[in-house]
Amino acid sequence: MSTIRRTWKINGKTVAVRFPAGRRLLDVLREDLGLIGSKESCGEGECGACTVIVNDEPVVSCILPAGQLADGTEILTVEGIEKKRVGRLIQQAFIEVGAVQCGFCIPGMVVSSYALLCKNPKPSTKAIREGLAGNLCRCTGYTKIIAAVKLAASRIPAAKRT
Amino acid sequence: MKITEKIDVRFPRTLAEALRLQAGEQTRGKLLAGGTDLMVQWAAGVPAPERATSVWNLPELSAIEMAPDAIEIGAGVTHAFLRDCVQIRRHLPALVAAAATVGAAQIQSRGTLGGNAANASPAGDTAPALLVTGGSVVLASLSGRREVPLDRFWIDYRKIDARPDEIIVAFRLPPKGRAKERFRKIGTRRAQAISKVMAASRILVEKGRIVSAAIALGSVAPTPVRLAQVEAFLVGKKLSPKLIDEAEQLAQATVAPIADIRSSAEYRRWASGRLVRDALEHL
Repeated sequence: MSTIRRTWKINGKTVAVRFPAGRRLLDVLREDLGLIGSKESCGEGECGACTVIVNDEPVVSCILPAGQLADGTEILTVEGIEKKRVGRLIQQAFIEVGAVQCGFCIPGMVVSSYALLCKNPKPSTKAIREGLAGNLCRCTGYTKIIAAVKLAASRIPAAKRT
Repeated sequence: MKITEKIDVRFPRTLAEALRLQAGEQTRGKLLAGGTDLMVQWAAGVPAPERATSVWNLPELSAIEMAPDAIEIGAGVTHAFLRDCVQIRRHLPALVAAAATVGAAQIQSRGTLGGNAANASPAGDTAPALLVTGGSVVLASLSGRREVPLDRFWIDYRKIDARPDEIIVAFRLPPKGRAKERFRKIGTRRAQAISKVMAASRILVEKGRIVSAAIALGSVAPTPVRLAQVEAFLVGKKLSPKLIDEAEQLAQATVAPIADIRSSAEYRRWASGRLVRDALEHL
């Protein structure tokens, strides 16, 4: 079994990794690098709890063969998003609106919200629903999650002025 | 150890290297594109191969070329790219609409047009939209390239006309020209749902008369299918409410869907007719 070596930029830092050729990105992140913010829930790409951003696109890391990410790939996990301005706005909005119940889906929700707001800082309700369609929540019924993304979006221009 | 770690995945950087790796392979299912189908199947217990060859991000599979007679789309192009590409939308709107309904954003980022075709599911979202273009698949191997018309590419349930040593490199798709295209997918919910039935169509009407018609359905047969009988019935006729009624009935009579976990045969038959009606009502 071959071992793969890659050097990626994870949350802004250059990181060298070694792993078996068939290892999933989620396992490299959680088990090899200790980035346990990304959750494994369904393990088959349906629920979005393991969502991370790879080269500006949201992906589900539980079905992503890590070796497919070339040297220099930029990966942003929920741990890195917390340090971004828009990421903090999303985090604060989720807290204020009370968009969380059990919380297991929330890291994925935050990552997908971040990916959405980076592409479309003023999304309609429909765009928010589409942007979060790949993230399942079994507790909230989504209403407050959508309200939280709206609240975060409404604060983006103010943040840009600072 | 996770099941996929038992697979020796090779990561070639060029098509030539990938073709050399495939040249010795005797069995299918060892080419790995975005992994959105295969990684799920392997995790779910479908026997994993000893080896797999990654074709993700091969530069030769990533190009798009616009020629007047056909748009050539690399097999490695993702659904996300198709979804956002305005130039392709103008010429192949049904394909772009289909790409936008695959899974959700995370799957669209990784799923590729070539992977969707190679997976050969009757419910593959892009297949009906590919079929109505009348285009072809371009396959490469060490012994050269060949083109297979799309309507002969899916030969049976999850079987394609490709040898184990061949890699899908591109799709050659004639643009719609003055015809109208439409794509509709019926599933349990809008996102992350595998279709109960879906339809794509490309129909040209001039002076109220149907000049050409291509209609394809997914999830109603072992492969994605063109409705040749309905198409032949429509061509040359004047578009009218009566013609639409007859086409709906003919479509229902033509398809022979099965019942499974996602839908009943009766519903699929009924919905097939309704989707043909929907296409004709939007011309």
